[in-house]
Amino acid sequence: MAELTTTKLDPDTHLILDQPLLRLPHELLRKNLKSAQRQIELANKSITTSITASATAHSTPAETLASLDATLAKAQNLKRKLEALHAEERTLHRQQKARIRHLQDLHEIPSLADVKYDVWSHVRLDRLLVDYLLRQGYVESARQLAAGKGVEELVDIAVFEECGKIDAALRGGDVREALAWCGENKQALKKINSNLELELRLQQFIELARTGEMGKLMDAIIHARKHLAGGADTEFGLRAGGLLAHPPDTLVEPYRGMYSRQRYTTLASLFLQTHHTLFSLPAQPLLHIALSAGLSALKTPTCHSVHNHNIGTSSAGHFNSNAASLTGTPLCPICSTELNELARAVPYAHHTKSFMEEDPVVLPNGRVYGRERLRGLNEKLGTGKGRVRDPVEGLGGLEWREEEVKKVFIS
Amino acid sequence: MEAILAAHEALESKSNLSKALSDVDALISMLQTARDDVSNGSDKPVLHIAKLKNPLKQSFDRIEDDLKEVNKGLNQYQKALKDKFKSSTLPTAGVGGESGLGSAEQKGLVERAIAMHLLREGKFDVASTFVKEINAASANETYREEDDMQDLAKGHLQKKFADMYHILDALRNQHNLTPAIEWARNHSAELENRGSNLEFELSRLRFVELYTSATSQGSFSGPLQALDYARTTFPSFSNRYMRETSALLGSLAFSPDLGSSPYKTLFLNSTAWEDVSASFSSTYLTTLSLPSRSPLHTACTAGTIALPTLLKVERIIAERHGQWTSVNELPVETPLPSGYLFHSIFVCPVSKEQTTDVNPPMMLPCGHVIAKESLEGHARGKHRVKCPYCPLEARTTEAKRVFI
Repeated sequence: MAELTTTKLDPDTHLILDQPLLRLPHELLRKNLKSAQRQIELANKSITTSITASATAHSTPAETLASLDATLAKAQNLKRKLEALHAEERTLHRQQKARIRHLQDLHEIPSLADVKYDVWSHVRLDRLLVDYLLRQGYVESARQLAAGKGVEELVDIAVFEECGKIDAALRGGDVREALAWCGENKQALKKINSNLELELRLQQFIELARTGEMGKLMDAIIHARKHLAGGADTEFGLRAGGLLAHPPDTLVEPYRGMYSRQRYTTLASLFLQTHHTLFSLPAQPLLHIALSAGLSALKTPTCHSVHNHNIGTSSAGHFNSNAASLTGTPLCPICSTELNELARAVPYAHHTKSFMEEDPVVLPNGRVYGRERLRGLNEKLGTGKGRVRDPVEGLGGLEWREEEVKKVFIS
Repeated sequence: MEAILAAHEALESKSNLSKALSDVDALISMLQTARDDVSNGSDKPVLHIAKLKNPLKQSFDRIEDDLKEVNKGLNQYQKALKDKFKSSTLPTAGVGGESGLGSAEQKGLVERAIAMHLLREGKFDVASTFVKEINAASANETYREEDDMQDLAKGHLQKKFADMYHILDALRNQHNLTPAIEWARNHSAELENRGSNLEFELSRLRFVELYTSATSQGSFSGPLQALDYARTTFPSFSNRYMRETSALLGSLAFSPDLGSSPYKTLFLNSTAWEDVSASFSSTYLTTLSLPSRSPLHTACTAGTIALPTLLKVERIIAERHGQWTSVNELPVETPLPSGYLFHSIFVCPVSKEQTTDVNPPMMLPCGHVIAKESLEGHARGKHRVKCPYCPLEARTTEAKRVFI
């Protein structure tokens, strides 16, 4: 059986949520390399052809010179492009380094009880928060928080910002940016068998068909031949063909659905999903994963009990006290107004052993305290000798004789 | 981590585009030379260019090789990553679905928690940007209800936290007690009712401060000011802090030579300001019914500690029961550091279940406690029941609900 408490810190399992931190820059480096490869390929082809062309032609020296100048310009252009990519690469390397160091820090912390763990976990929370803010599209807040906490190297503002822009454009009915993105990531998309581009092309086709004009319908057919017929997936071509037979106000499925504006929302979700898969980003905000597990691990049946005196908003109940008291124990985060409602639906933690203060005693009102703590709290309250109060009730509650406090046996 | 670090260093030092760039430079200078030759009136320009063909091909081959090197580095890094993070699956339970944190209804609550966390951290500017962005977003999405985010940022809470930081700043950084004492005096009755020592602690520190200050006007002016302060302030504490106040006043007798007096520890306490700051902020937050540490931080940290266990369980029960969120209790224990236990926990020794409002803990007259359902099961409908842990018998009606 597991223990009630632990301070063991196993960095390998502890870093479950932190994989994307290292994976994303890596994917970006790959993308960067792919761009470099493409640039070089293009330059290679065009430079070689122009040299070959000028070598065979019986041209004047002036023409040769001009052709060489053009070639030189191409090479210069390649250099500029590569320099930009190299700069990007350096930025990514720096980011990678900062992230590795951040994770390395955790490996050097001996236990969960160490103060350094507290510092580290605060940085992680900042990261999770920025990740959440970015995913919800609160870019400005994310930027400010990251800058305020000095965690810019550990978060991916630029990636999410671009992603958010494309997402918003799609929701607004514009597929151009998404298509451009598909173009940039063509090979990677092919690798994961994504049909995002086909869906986007189909959407363009749908828009042409929606007009119902003969000329546009012809364009639609040409568009379909160009973009929807090539692949192994014939389904897109078939759907496109079928659509032509149905006017925009059709009630026949799936064509009614294809004409629907709702399709843009679907496309946006598909885009997000594809984007996150491609960059090894989890589909859910990391904050949700950490938080839902944490709420459960901390929650006890007491946290939503009507007798809980810590909940500021709880209605009367047996003990009428709507303010927290300084009973010496720290306030429970689940009982606090910050998380109480949020934790209502999650399961509470599983325990197989009771967890009690030393030497428990019970007051006449049924509330149980550790004897020593009860004494200390009554001293702070200034209760008279031989008398005792329930610290939760404070000075407003009843006062009893000390003999009325009974020992209670809890196993 | 070492393997990742090594792979990263290889990337930084070798496997990057700098080599390709220098090869492109070589290509450019080669073209440049050819161009210069042609423009200098070389007689056979065509031949010149024809001669370029081979070196051109070679230099592009070289550049491509350079990139292959980068690719190799990336592959090595990826391998190191894969060795480090064996499983890439993340838990999904509790996140999606109707009641999950991802649902529209819970989104408001998550964001409220974030806003409160930002305020608590003193990030007022971020919090206000955040609320602005939320409002802008919800203006577009009509289905989202207006929540209390607006007054969260504008009003009450932000002011409370701003006040707290103001007082804390004075206390911790400027060693200025005045704002804190003023706050404590205004909340005097409340603090007393909660058994807080804060007001007295602050006054004591003021006494010490006066005592040891102002040596320029003669060595007695400090103690005299302290005495004066004690006369006006301490009477209100006399009941609860009789012993402490008399100790403070007693120290006056030793004023020239405190270091060797029995009151030394009262005066030469280097952490006094830090202590009183911590005491102030936790008291302040408690009067707002807020925990002294950020609940969001506590919950997220607890979550990451519990995740490996939950993940393992999720894998095991996925085929059989669905998710761990589908029941009202987690299926396994998720041990946390002791600082993460906030309530006493009572597990009925008979049924091994935690007690709840529906099935509360009941104390028999002998002082043994079991869950209500266990008691009823044990009594089997009779009016008398024997305690399962001692020979005592009692009427079932004598069992008393206790609050643990």
